[in-house]
Amino acid sequence: MHSWGKFVFTGMGLGLLIGITLSMAGIYRGMVDDAKVLLDNSGADLWVVQKDTLGPYAESSSIYDDIWRGVRSMPGVKRAANITYLTMQVGKKDGDVRAMVTGVTPGEPGTPGWPPYLVAGRQITRSHYEAVADIASGFKLGERIQVRRNQYTVVGLTRRMVSSNGDPMVFIPLKDAQEAQFLKDNDAIREQRRRTAENPVFNRPGVPGLLDAVIASQSTNPYVNAVLVRVETGHDPEVVAESIRRWKRLTVYTRSQMEEILVGKLIATSARQIFMFLVILSIVSSAIVAFIIYTLTLGKIREIAVLKLIGTKNRTIVGLIMQQSIALGLIGFVVGKISATLLMAPIFPKYVLLQPLDSVMGFIAVVMICVLSSIIAIRAALRVDPAEAIGG
Amino acid sequence: MKRLPFQKRTLALIAVLVPLLALFVYVALRSGPLAPVSVVLATVENKGLSPALFGIGTIEARYTYKIGPTFAGRVKRLDVHVGERVKAGQVLGEMDPVDLDERIRAQDATLKRASAQLNEAQARKDYAQTQALRYDQLLKAHSTSEEVVATKQQDLLVTEAGLTAAREELSRVRAERKALEAQRSNLSLIAPVDGLVVSRDADPGTTVVAGQAVVELIDPNTLWVNVRFDQIRVQGLAAGLSARITLRSQAGKLQAGRVLRVEPLADAVTEETLAKVVFDQIPDPMPPIGELAEVTITLSTLTEAPVIPNAAIHHIDGRLGVWQVINSDLRFTPVSLGIADLEGRVQVQEGLKIGDQVVAYSENALNKRSRIHVVDHIPGVTQ
Amino acid sequence: MTAKGIRIQGLRKRYGSGDTAVDALKTVDMHVAPGEVVGLIGPSGSGKTTLLKCLGAVIEPTAGKMILGDDVIYDDGWKVKDLRALRRDRIGFVFQAPYLIPFLDVTDNVALLPMLAGMPNTEARKRAIELFKALDVEHRAKAMPSQLSGGEQQRVAIARGLVNRPPVILADEPTAPLDSERALAVIRILNDMAQKFETAIIVVTHDEKIIPTFKRIYHIRDGVTYEEEGEGRGFE
Repeated sequence: MHSWGKFVFTGMGLGLLIGITLSMAGIYRGMVDDAKVLLDNSGADLWVVQKDTLGPYAESSSIYDDIWRGVRSMPGVKRAANITYLTMQVGKKDGDVRAMVTGVTPGEPGTPGWPPYLVAGRQITRSHYEAVADIASGFKLGERIQVRRNQYTVVGLTRRMVSSNGDPMVFIPLKDAQEAQFLKDNDAIREQRRRTAENPVFNRPGVPGLLDAVIASQSTNPYVNAVLVRVETGHDPEVVAESIRRWKRLTVYTRSQMEEILVGKLIATSARQIFMFLVILSIVSSAIVAFIIYTLTLGKIREIAVLKLIGTKNRTIVGLIMQQSIALGLIGFVVGKISATLLMAPIFPKYVLLQPLDSVMGFIAVVMICVLSSIIAIRAALRVDPAEAIGG
Repeated sequence: MKRLPFQKRTLALIAVLVPLLALFVYVALRSGPLAPVSVVLATVENKGLSPALFGIGTIEARYTYKIGPTFAGRVKRLDVHVGERVKAGQVLGEMDPVDLDERIRAQDATLKRASAQLNEAQARKDYAQTQALRYDQLLKAHSTSEEVVATKQQDLLVTEAGLTAAREELSRVRAERKALEAQRSNLSLIAPVDGLVVSRDADPGTTVVAGQAVVELIDPNTLWVNVRFDQIRVQGLAAGLSARITLRSQAGKLQAGRVLRVEPLADAVTEETLAKVVFDQIPDPMPPIGELAEVTITLSTLTEAPVIPNAAIHHIDGRLGVWQVINSDLRFTPVSLGIADLEGRVQVQEGLKIGDQVVAYSENALNKRSRIHVVDHIPGVTQ
Repeated sequence: MTAKGIRIQGLRKRYGSGDTAVDALKTVDMHVAPGEVVGLIGPSGSGKTTLLKCLGAVIEPTAGKMILGDDVIYDDGWKVKDLRALRRDRIGFVFQAPYLIPFLDVTDNVALLPMLAGMPNTEARKRAIELFKALDVEHRAKAMPSQLSGGEQQRVAIARGLVNRPPVILADEPTAPLDSERALAVIRILNDMAQKFETAIIVVTHDEKIIPTFKRIYHIRDGVTYEEEGEGRGFE
């Protein structure tokens, strides 16, 4: 019985390896899903960004906050709304959380940029100092959080609203976000005022009020990161995008182009790394299965000779070996799938998406690896001479 | 058909595989895209909303008086400090006269000279008049020529004109002296009203240009809050509405006030409407000018109407609506909305009746084909 | 079909060729009748193992004749096409160690052979259990080999050797690891089975404990066999 136990134990070890492989595939899918979810949740058909940038997610983009008016009047545009994104530390009572602070244009639910659905609370109604946060941030309803110099009350919670990096999103009113993005802390502001006051061009005695006007202009921020556009039903987004590009001389991306940028450029490096890991793990797993089956078979040379001697067909012996190999693979797969779903996926800090299709493909791969790996052992078994069973 | 004696083991494997497959299918149905989505429902209620407007602003003084000289000069002394209360007419400080006193003395001398010149002109005229009369009489006695009489007449006229000129010159010099005196008295900086000194912009010894403020006064009884409201949510704002003001330094403490006026000029760049809100009673101690304040203006309560939480509203396929649950079936119902309040409740004008059930919160985005599973609160959200 | 036992005439086995040729078997004559249990005794290097391999049809002799029952198996060349089927159906093997397949239960271990021969599953298992009854291990029929004692495993191995009702059984040192009581028990079982199923049994051994039980013994030395009378003692 103890050899049976050893067999199962080996299968469990193999299973953990398979579990890691499945989790890796899940991590990759999770990253792609993060990117897709970000695009879906923005509620936009087009993204208008600074000329010749890959913004607003893959590269930083700054456009004036009144450009949306020009875009709104283009044919085929149903709604246009400003939006800002800044990944920064958001403070809570003890410590802080890394989040993507998103400034959304005030309006009604359905404005591009607003979270499309909530899991608790309500959408923002006041024009300042309210926030909607993703539950991944750990914030609760009613909690006071700190973004730069202002405090916000969390009035609503969302789920799966994350940046392409997996950072939770925190939605605040646009004007507060603009202030947070460009206004520095008090020390920096004082320093800036001092420098401006020392500059004789701005501090002219004959022109009272000039210095104040200059300082005031330095403390406003007229920029946003992008304009989200929703296209009228029936209009082709690419056509509308092209007209905005031509007449407004801005860079415009459609949904499919944004997906390509995010998946193709932003997470491409990580995707490649994970794919390499997948390949390595698969090779290692195959090698381990092959080694184990070979060792098990070698340990049974005597029995195999006996079987051959007493008249067992080669085919039967091959079937036995392959059956053993597949059994090992099955145990490994069962253990792997269970450990991936119940153990690894919840613990991992990023979103792990385990799709049933991946499991099916993994299962087929495991079986094939087992079959192929047993070939070495099978060849050894076939070479055994039944005469060896006789004599010492 | 030949059956190999692996049945026992195959049976064992099957015994493991079948529950695994079942688990698989179960997991796929429960957590994949086929899984039912947990939702929390809300009922359309009949409520009278109390909409409110929310804006932030800064404390400002209604009237700011910038006191300064009307000509370039040096500040001689300032008698007041920031934070002091002053009365109307009180002298706040003085500018340095510099050469003004000398100029007045010079003007005095000029005045004396003009006086003397007037006397001289008067004497000349008197003499010329006497001469004119004498020669007139001589002409009557045929003792002199007419030409001489004419010359004397002309002399008289000339000296009369000279007298007039001297007289006007004296007036001019006198007026100039008065002007210098007026300037001399203007060196004092006088408070135009009762007020509070808020800033000393130039200390004694500083040279200032004309029009530059040396001392700034405000009337502390005329503090107001300059409030900005987002233009999108400003419907119903009007003068006279009562307001609740929260100062930044006293979060949680509400001051009562009312809207004084809605500014006719809005901020086109920031897309905000401006309004001025006054305190019913200025808080004591006086809040500093420039402090931030949050202002909430409650509008009158509306008549009862069907309301829904704003979390239930979604924009799908170009239409605004809600996910309605009828007999456990999910359906997207377009609605047209009315007024909203600050607590997230919105009136429904068309599309829903009181008592209808709508999806307020959902675990994932819903679509027409979603299967739903009603819960009390979404798993993962701690209350 | 009445088995007529096994008969070997003038068997020779030569390894190599030319100058380096070695005759492991020079001339071997044996015959064992159905129901008879004979011993085959010889020192190492005597050709004992080679003879067993020839009898077991795993190596090809160089010359001679082998007759099993009514059929000539070898006459200066194999006369049977499928040696494996021959081994499976007509020759039974019992080894020093039981060599049971560890992941099949003992019944399947024994039933494997008839199933390979084409017998339906249930019938094969029934036959296995019948043999277990005869060998007094039927109470362990459902156990896995590792759960049986050494002696029980050996009895299962014997059952496996018997299950296809072969006309001849080759037993290679079946009692070597056993103590005298067990050894005699095994030899007694072999005798019983030989009688019951009319099987000819050749026991290769050098175990002093059981040699006295044989009625006939073949000695083999330098590739030649010599027949001898045995003591034929009982099995106590």
